Amino acid sequence: MVKREEIVHAANLIRIDLEDHAKYIEQIEKILNYFDILDEASGESEVIVQEASLEKLRDDKHIPYDEELIKQLKNYKGTFVKAPKMI
Amino acid sequence: MTKIGLEIHCQLTKLESKLFCSCKADYRNFETNRNICPVCIGLPGSLPLLNKKAVEKAAMIAMALGCKTPQKIAFFRKNYFYPDLPKNFQITQYNAFGPTSIGYDGNVLIENKEIRIRRIQLEEDPGRIVYEGTSEKTQLTLIDYNRAGTPLVEIVTEPDFETPKQVRLFLNVLADLVENLGVSDPSLEGALRVDGNISIDKGNRVEIKNVGSFRDIEKALHFEITRQQSLAEREIPIPAETRHWDEARKITVSARSKEEEQDYRYFLEADIPWVLIESSVIDKLKKNMPESISSKKERYIKKYGIPLQVAEVLSSDKFYSDLFEQAHNEKNAKEIANIITTDLKGFADTKEQREQLKLTPKHLSDLAEAVMNNIITRNSGKLALQEIVKTGKSLSEIISSLDLGHVDDESSLSKIIDDVFSEEEKAVSEAKSNPDTINYLVGKVMQKTKGKANPALTLDIIKKKLDSK
Amino acid sequence: MNLGITATQYLEQVKNGSFTAEEFMAKTMERIRKVEGSIHAYISLNDDAISQAKQIDKKLKAKEKVGSCLGMPISIKDNICTKGMKTTCASKMLENFVAPYDATVVFNLKSQDAIITGKTNLDEFAMGISTEFSYFGPSRNPWNIDYVPGGSSGGSAVSVSALECIASLGSDTGGSVRNPASFCSVVGLKPTYGLVSRYGLISYANSIEQVGPIARTVEDTAFILNIISGIDSHDNTTIDKGKVDYTKELDAGVKGKRIGIISEMTGIGVDKQVASATSKAISKLQSLGAECSEVSLDSVKYSVATYYTIAATEAGSNLARYDNIRYGFDFDVEGFEFNAYISKARKNFGPEVTRRMILGAFVPSAGYVGKYFYKALKVRSKIKYEIEEAFKKFDLLISPTVPILPFKIGEKIDDPLSLYLLDINTIVANLSGIPAISIPYEISHGLPIGIQLFADLAKEQTLLQAAYALEKTTNLPGAPI
Repeated sequence: MVKREEIVHAANLIRIDLEDHAKYIEQIEKILNYFDILDEASGESEVIVQEASLEKLRDDKHIPYDEELIKQLKNYKGTFVKAPKMI
Repeated sequence: MTKIGLEIHCQLTKLESKLFCSCKADYRNFETNRNICPVCIGLPGSLPLLNKKAVEKAAMIAMALGCKTPQKIAFFRKNYFYPDLPKNFQITQYNAFGPTSIGYDGNVLIENKEIRIRRIQLEEDPGRIVYEGTSEKTQLTLIDYNRAGTPLVEIVTEPDFETPKQVRLFLNVLADLVENLGVSDPSLEGALRVDGNISIDKGNRVEIKNVGSFRDIEKALHFEITRQQSLAEREIPIPAETRHWDEARKITVSARSKEEEQDYRYFLEADIPWVLIESSVIDKLKKNMPESISSKKERYIKKYGIPLQVAEVLSSDKFYSDLFEQAHNEKNAKEIANIITTDLKGFADTKEQREQLKLTPKHLSDLAEAVMNNIITRNSGKLALQEIVKTGKSLSEIISSLDLGHVDDESSLSKIIDDVFSEEEKAVSEAKSNPDTINYLVGKVMQKTKGKANPALTLDIIKKKLDSK
Repeated sequence: MNLGITATQYLEQVKNGSFTAEEFMAKTMERIRKVEGSIHAYISLNDDAISQAKQIDKKLKAKEKVGSCLGMPISIKDNICTKGMKTTCASKMLENFVAPYDATVVFNLKSQDAIITGKTNLDEFAMGISTEFSYFGPSRNPWNIDYVPGGSSGGSAVSVSALECIASLGSDTGGSVRNPASFCSVVGLKPTYGLVSRYGLISYANSIEQVGPIARTVEDTAFILNIISGIDSHDNTTIDKGKVDYTKELDAGVKGKRIGIISEMTGIGVDKQVASATSKAISKLQSLGAECSEVSLDSVKYSVATYYTIAATEAGSNLARYDNIRYGFDFDVEGFEFNAYISKARKNFGPEVTRRMILGAFVPSAGYVGKYFYKALKVRSKIKYEIEEAFKKFDLLISPTVPILPFKIGEKIDDPLSLYLLDINTIVANLSGIPAISIPYEISHGLPIGIQLFADLAKEQTLLQAAYALEKTTNLPGAPI
C-alpha cells in the first residue's frame, strides 16, 4: 500500500502542486495498485537497446544557427532570458 | 587520517561544436544568447545528436588516466529543476547499472601515492546564471544559454588524497595532461572546475563546492581540515553536509541543504543509441594519441642528455615542447632546450605573449647553431633572442644590425685590450698580484665589445700582456 | 468534385485536369468550415492553403517540376512541429508556441508539395485514448457526434474520416494512431520504431512513440509512408532500411501466409460485436489462402502496467521543460521565487497529463524504482522476446484494434484506469517496436470496428499487403456527416 505522503512527495519532485487535487491522489493510488500486477511477472535483466557505431555519430563541426532564436523565446530582457529569482 | 576525493569538470574547449548540437563548443566570445539553437535550449521536438569527436577525446583522457573503457557506452538523464538547465534534466553518464561511462577504474601516481580514478563521464554543461536586483521585489534570475550543451568530461577520484598539496600536484598534472592531449585549454576561465570532499579520522564526509581556481582548492581544503579538526578536538560531531567556498572571506560556509533532497531518478536517455566502442577504435586512438608528458620527459633525458629540471619544464608545457619538437635535431637539442627554458623566460609566459610571439622554430635552430659554433657568444645569443621575439627578423639580419658577431681575431682584440689597459691603469697594476682583478678587466673588454669578445681568447691575451709587463 | 476520393485518385485527377489543386483545396476548406462546428477536428487552420495550391497549379501549367503530392491537402497532429504555425500539443502550456523549424516528416511532405490544411486536435501532449483531454475541447466522432473519435490522434482521424483532408499524420505511443483510426473507420499505421524520424515530434515517451499516417485506404497509407520514412541525420534513433517503395506489390495477397490469432486479445473482455467482426475477418483471410491459428502471448496481461510505468516515467522527464520560462503562456516571472513560479505555472496542465507526470515521478523514485520502473523494463524485454518467438512461427498476428465499440463522450472520463485498459491490444506493438496497422472492417449499429494486423520488425511490406487484401473484401460507406 502506497502512502499518501509519498504521492505528494512525487508530485513535488515534478513541481506539481496538489493543493486542489486531492482526487488525483485517489486515482493515482488506484493506478499504482493496478501496477502491482508487475510483481507476478518475470523478465530478463536485459533492457531494450538501440546501438550505433561511433561512425554513425555527428561530425564535430561548428554550424551557427542562423536565426535570431533568442527573440522567439517568450521571456527575454535585453538578451538574457528572464527567470524568477532563486532563494 | 585525512581523506580527500575530487570531482573535476573539464570542458573540451578544443572541440569545434557542443556535445549534442553544432553550436560552438567554446562559447566565450559570443554575445549573450547568440550561441544557441533548438537542441541546446531544448525546444519542444528537438533531439540530441552526439558529437563523435567528443567521445574520442573523452576516451583519450580515460586512457591517459589509466582507465578501462567499456565496449558500449550509454547516456542517462539526471532529472532536476534549475533555471540554467533548459530541459530540466541533464544528459550525463551513470554507472550504477554497470560500467557504461567512457572510463572507469583508472589510476594516477602523484609523488608515489596511487590516486584511483573511479570514473570518467561525458556530460553537458548547463547555461550561466546572472542575478539581478537587490531587494526582494526586484530580484530576477537572468540566464545566458551560450554555455548550455558545452561538452564536459567529469573525472571522479576515490578519496585517496591525504594532503591538499597532493591535490594541487594532481590538478597541475591533470591540467598539463589535458592541454598536452589537445582536448582542452585549461587557461580559459571555467575550463577546469573542481569540487572536493573531505573527511578526517573516519568522520563524516563534507563536500566543498563553488571553488573558483586551483589555488583556492588548496586553501579551501586547508581551511576545512582546520575547521573539522577544531570540532573534533572539542568532541563536537562533524555533520555530513555540502559547504560552499566563500572566495571573499576565504572560508567555507554551510550551503542550505536543498541538494540532499534531490532524487534524480536516473534512467536511460532513449534519444541517444548505445555507442559501440570497438577495440579497433581504441587501438587507433591510442596510436594517434599525442605522446604523454612523462614519455617526453624520459625521451629528453635519455636521448638528448637534457638535465632533469630542464626536461621537466620542457615536457610539461605544451607550447615549449611543441617549439622544441619542431626546432631541434640530435646535435642542438640540449642547447635549444636550454634556450627555451631559460632565455625565453619573461617573453613567452602568458597566453597573449605566446600568441604574439614572432619566434619561429627556425630562429631557434639558427640561434643554437650560432652559439654552438662560436659565431656569437652566449650573451650575444640572449640579446639576439630578445630582438627575435620582438621583431621576428632573421638571425643573420640581427647579428649584423646589432653587430653581434664575435670578436675573434687576435689583433683587433689586442687593440681593444690595450685601450682598456690604458683606461684602467689602477686595475692593471693590481691585476698582477690579485687574480680576481683579471676578471674585472675581462669584463671591461666585454663591455667595450658589447659582449662580442671571445672570453677565452680575451683572458689569454690579457694574461700574456700582464705577464709581459 | 468528390472530396471522398483517395490520394491515388486525387493525383490522377489533378494530372488529367479534372480539377485544379486550387479548386480541390477551396472545396476542402469549404467543407472544413461546414463541419468543424460539429466535430472539431482542427485546432488551427492554414490560412495560406488555397494560395499555396494556386502556386502548385502555376508550376504544373508551366510544366515545372512538382513534388509527388501535387498540392494534396494533408492535416498534421498538433504535437508535430510546423514552422511558422502554432504547435500547441492541445495544452495551455504551449498555447503560443511557434516552432522555428518543421518536423522532418512535415519537411518531407512539403518537399513533395503536399499542402498542410491545419493542425489537428489531440489529447493533451498525446496522453489519452479519446481526445477528451484537449485544452481546446474534445473532437467528436463523425459517425455519431455524441461519441468519442478515439485518441490521442482523434483530430487527425476525424479530419480524414469527415473528408476535411486526404490524409493526416498522427503519432502512436500506445495505440494513438490505430485506436482513433478504428473508431473513425479509417486506416492507421504505426511504423516500426525508428523507421520514421521523430525530429519535430514533441516528445511524450521517446523510447516508444512513432509518427504514423492516417488515410482512407491502405494504398494511400503506403503512399504517405514512402514520403515520411527513412534515416534522418536529425534523429539518431532512425534506422536505415534503404530505399523501399511501400506501394509496390500491395496486391501480393495472403496466400500461404501464417497468421496468429492472439488469444489474449480475442477472449474475455471483448464486446460481442467486435468479437464477431474479428471472427469474420479471420474467416475472410482464410478464404484468401492464409493459414490462421491461435497463438498465446502470455505477457499481454502485463503490457498495460509495463507501458504506463515506462511511458509515465519518460513523460515526466520530457515534460519537465515546460516551466513557462522560455515558452508557454503569458505569466510574468517578476516577484516570484523559482520553484513557486514553476509549480503555479504547471497547474495549467490538464488532469490526465498531471496524473501521468506524478506517476512518472513516483515509479522511478528512490524506494520504488525497483518494484515499478526496473521491473517494467524487464517485463518489456520479456514482451519483446515473446513477440520474437511468435514471429518465428507466424508471418502476421491479428486482433481487434480496440476491445470495445466507441463510447460516449464523458462516459469514461472519471475512471482513468478503465481508459488505460482499452490500450491492451495496441500496446504490445509499441513496447516491442513492431509495426501494426488498423483497417476499418465493419460498421455495427452505426459505430465503426477496426481490425489490427501486426508484422515483424521492419516488415511493413508484408503488413501492408495483408491489410490491402483484407481491405479489398470490405465495402464500407463513408461517414454520415
